[in-house]
Amino acid sequence: MTRAVLVPSALVLLPEYAGLVDPVPELRSACRAAVAGLVADGPPVVGVLAAPARRDNVARGVASPAGHRIAHHLLEEVGWSGELTEPAAGVPLLVTGNGTACRTEKAPGHLDPRAVGFDAALGAALVTGDVAALRALDARLAEELWCHDVPAFTRLAEVLAPGPPAEVHYDADPFGVQYWVLTWP
Amino acid sequence: MTLKLGRHEFPDDATLMMAIVNRTPDSFYDKGRTWAEDRAFDRVAQVVDEGAEIVDIGGIKAAPGAEIDVAEERRRVVQFVARVRAAHPGLVISVDTWRAEVGRAVCAEGADVLNDAWGGADPALVDAAAEFDAGLVCTHTGSVTPRTRPFRIEYADVVAAAITDTTAYAERAVAAGVDPRGILIDPAHDFGKNTVQSLEVTRRLAEMVATGWPVLVSLSNKDFVGETLDLPVGERLIGTLAATAVCALAGARVYRVHEVVETRQVVDMVASIAGRRPPRRAVRGLA
Repeated sequence: MTRAVLVPSALVLLPEYAGLVDPVPELRSACRAAVAGLVADGPPVVGVLAAPARRDNVARGVASPAGHRIAHHLLEEVGWSGELTEPAAGVPLLVTGNGTACRTEKAPGHLDPRAVGFDAALGAALVTGDVAALRALDARLAEELWCHDVPAFTRLAEVLAPGPPAEVHYDADPFGVQYWVLTWP
Repeated sequence: MTLKLGRHEFPDDATLMMAIVNRTPDSFYDKGRTWAEDRAFDRVAQVVDEGAEIVDIGGIKAAPGAEIDVAEERRRVVQFVARVRAAHPGLVISVDTWRAEVGRAVCAEGADVLNDAWGGADPALVDAAAEFDAGLVCTHTGSVTPRTRPFRIEYADVVAAAITDTTAYAERAVAAGVDPRGILIDPAHDFGKNTVQSLEVTRRLAEMVATGWPVLVSLSNKDFVGETLDLPVGERLIGTLAATAVCALAGARVYRVHEVVETRQVVDMVASIAGRRPPRRAVRGLA
């Protein structure tokens, strides 16, 4: 039984941005497998946790959070249909979020030497379910490192039930952006 | 419209490269480079490697010159078609001929398409296409005689004329039994047209596309490009590609070309700009 799954909030996962060749086949298949596991028992509702739409995107007319769209798409892709809700006790939880986007020279946010340390701490907190560390994330530093998912992580700290560490299905930064696919059993 | 070129089918949104393979000693662009049969055969292998879906084999240059009778045209193309067919079973073989007798002979050896660059000069060509279930390219030449240059030809509306003539030809072909899925229409740049007229056809190509018949364009290194930019043969690739981009945006389906790789890049790029083809691999801003 999976309590919760984390997938990245990367737009590259959305079909409306797809190219002819998938640039993230391993990431995508890890996401699919994890989400399929989350809904393997056919739950009627799934809780979704995503950061709100970025202010700059809202200003451009996009009010729908990317994470919600990604969650919806992945759930649809694995054949689940049901109701998406706020996180709630006993309800499987799909969280969207990733680390920084400043890990390399070619990264979207260019190289910031603080990114690797930030991601290491965030990754460890997520895997171990260290809710205190998640609550204490430096939101301002995260913004500077182009990690926009801190609202999702701090909310996760409030709702993640205690349990064993997460299983890590994907942990890489193919474009200088730190992605994880995690399942909390 | 789904294309069925002989034994090969292509989906609605596919754009196709038709590579020119000359079995002539005197064509304007390559000037006999593939006159020797083995050189022409090597050219076929090269364009297949480059991604061409179709080869267009021609035994007579378009411009005026020494008369090539049926027997000589047959010597140049029929056995060559058989050789290409055997070596490249997946390739669409088109033969550039206006003569029904030659059309029948090449279809018997496995040609898939008859490219009638001279707009129905031989009325029996449609019967050859129908007999062998081959595709047919219906071009607009303003009813000029094959292998003549345009001379003071005028049209009240060149595009309307091209549409009227090519669609009438297409309908005549269907009536003769040619599968409509194998019919292409071609405004035939430079054929029966001065440069201003070819430019207008390019600018208004969308009107031809709107007929619903799939459109073939043959732009490669032609005089309308040369005159527009005042450049000789050999320096017309960039102008050709500009015209290609305009035709691609309008929705042309088949591109008869000397340069396969460059044309394919332009056509794919334009198709993606037009929203008909996703980018090959998109990560920028999405990671």
